[in-house]
Amino acid sequence: MRLVSRVLSATVAAALALPGLAGAAPVKIGFINTITGAEAPIGETMTNGLELALEDLKKQGIDVKVIRQDDTGKPDKAISAIEQLATGDEVTAIVGPYTSACANAVAKQAEQYGVSQVIPAASKEEITRQGYKWVFRVNAPANVYAKALIDAALAFGKPKTVAFIYESTDFGSSLSKVGKEYALLKGLTVVADEAYQKGSPDYRSTLSKVKGQNPDLVFMVSYVADAILLMRQSRELGLKPQAFLGGGAGFDTAQFEGEKDISTNVFSVTQWTTDSSKSSEEFAARYQARFGKRPTYHAACTYTSMMVVGAAVKKGGADRAKVREALATDSWQTIMGEVKFVAYDGYGNQNKNAMPVIQYQAGKSVTVFPPKVATAKAVYPFPGWK
Amino acid sequence: MNVFFQSLLSGILVGGVYALIGIGLTIIFGVMRVINFAHGDLLMLGMYVTWGLFTLFNIDPYLSLIITAPVLFLWGALLQKVLINRVLNALPQNQILLTIGMGLVMSNAIMLGFTSDYRILTTSYSSSSFQLFGLSVSQPLLYSFLITVAITGALFWFLQTTDTGQAIRATAQDRDAAQLMGINVKRMSVLAFGLGTALAGIAGALLAPTYYIFPQVGGPFTLKAFVVVVLGGMGSIVGATLGGVLIGVTESLSAVYIASGLKELVVYVLFLLILLFRPAGLLGKSRT
Repeated sequence: MRLVSRVLSATVAAALALPGLAGAAPVKIGFINTITGAEAPIGETMTNGLELALEDLKKQGIDVKVIRQDDTGKPDKAISAIEQLATGDEVTAIVGPYTSACANAVAKQAEQYGVSQVIPAASKEEITRQGYKWVFRVNAPANVYAKALIDAALAFGKPKTVAFIYESTDFGSSLSKVGKEYALLKGLTVVADEAYQKGSPDYRSTLSKVKGQNPDLVFMVSYVADAILLMRQSRELGLKPQAFLGGGAGFDTAQFEGEKDISTNVFSVTQWTTDSSKSSEEFAARYQARFGKRPTYHAACTYTSMMVVGAAVKKGGADRAKVREALATDSWQTIMGEVKFVAYDGYGNQNKNAMPVIQYQAGKSVTVFPPKVATAKAVYPFPGWK
Repeated sequence: MNVFFQSLLSGILVGGVYALIGIGLTIIFGVMRVINFAHGDLLMLGMYVTWGLFTLFNIDPYLSLIITAPVLFLWGALLQKVLINRVLNALPQNQILLTIGMGLVMSNAIMLGFTSDYRILTTSYSSSSFQLFGLSVSQPLLYSFLITVAITGALFWFLQTTDTGQAIRATAQDRDAAQLMGINVKRMSVLAFGLGTALAGIAGALLAPTYYIFPQVGGPFTLKAFVVVVLGGMGSIVGATLGGVLIGVTESLSAVYIASGLKELVVYVLFLLILLFRPAGLLGKSRT
């Protein structure tokens, strides 16, 4: 009896040590994403990015099984998703969720259950500043967004005043908070600071108040639908600063890009463009061919996150601790350039990702800042509405 | 000063649409004493019909009213005949549960069919405006407001002068007496619910070009319709009109002079204050 159990445990140990062994079950990876709900259009691009990553992992012979959960953009749903994934499905690692509020809620649980979480595109700074060992972030946090946009505006012209309009969510308030701090540091005067409740049909009064202050820069932070609504109503009211700065998210979607009347000459900041690395063009072309539209940074970040997790799984198999170890120590060449999770400035397990500034010109986004990667000249100041 | 007039103007224009939503609800309540918690979801249906006509057949959202309104009228009449009619004499809480249930079924059915993606209608005038004395008047909002005024006017004329309109009002005043006078109150109820639904649908169609469309869009509008109706006085059409504009203006001005994030708070504080001093609403007669 004792012999049998000893042989058995030796076999089990061998099987665990050699995860790539034929017959081993695929490693389970959880993917929490906003499949339905307000941020669903962004969630869709993230799912597409994941699909491409899965194809590539398969080619490399890395066998993973992705279990998907929909958080509908709500933190409580995200928490039940990770509980199910960590305890029910017993996944080895998790990719997602999208929004800051959800990612932050999940981070706490990931740390508690000891499951690696790789966040593709949530920007609230706090997420990787809580000393968590199991939480990794591929995208740059909010302060980089704000810094890139304000630096760009200061490089193009001489703005003196700035107005902030942002939705009162985790993403909106954290991004505009660091934006305000950085603006003050750079000698700009903040003339308006307007948090709004998202989902209102009418932002005209807020915008006319901002217009009354006559700011040189208007810095907006919103998700998909409100970004379009805010710009439409800005056009109606004839709000005309030197530049509209859109803080990623809703300002960096195909839907926004398509609304030429209101998107032209708006600046936004992004985690990734086709100029980010050599393999980026190829990824964009593949994505275009497969899904019929251009990829946004959300797709690229999710693709990268999944590839990184795949690489870690190749090394650590289904062992949660070994996968975490691989994520914490290795570095990878990806479409976003080199990805490595490091500790700096109070952040932990944070990838240092540079954020290029883009501008919508004639219905297309072009990179305009920093000069090193710029592909077009910025239109500054804002020439006015057509 | 310019900022003041600008926000006053957009408050009035947005308030017009709130009024339309409120009028639909108040007619239904007046005639049947049923509180329709599915009102926002009926508005959502109006939005989807408009969106469908626009994307499939490229029909202008405002022009599509001539299709949206009758479609929603028939839908409302059907709901009343099949469902609401059965609970007319039931306990109020049963009526409320029924309408809430109807709303849930409608929003979830739409979600099943169209997913919960946000839809945005882009028309040539989506972000255009007129300049008037240094103020910019949103084109889509102005069109919506003018249509609202025309429809409210037509409704008044219908209720005041036509036989059917008078019969509806008589039913609202006293159901039993109206029946004794030979009015077919069942038919009036069907008419009233159809009319209320059509008004909600029209409001949805008017909002569609300036707002975004998703299956759960109704909830906040149901709540807003209630505030409008209770503020104006339950069952009073003039009251609902007044209430709608008042709420639109309050939202708009408080976003400018207090804080954008607090405009809802200001609206509800005002609402509570008015109810404290006039429990029956601005133009309501206290029920005895």
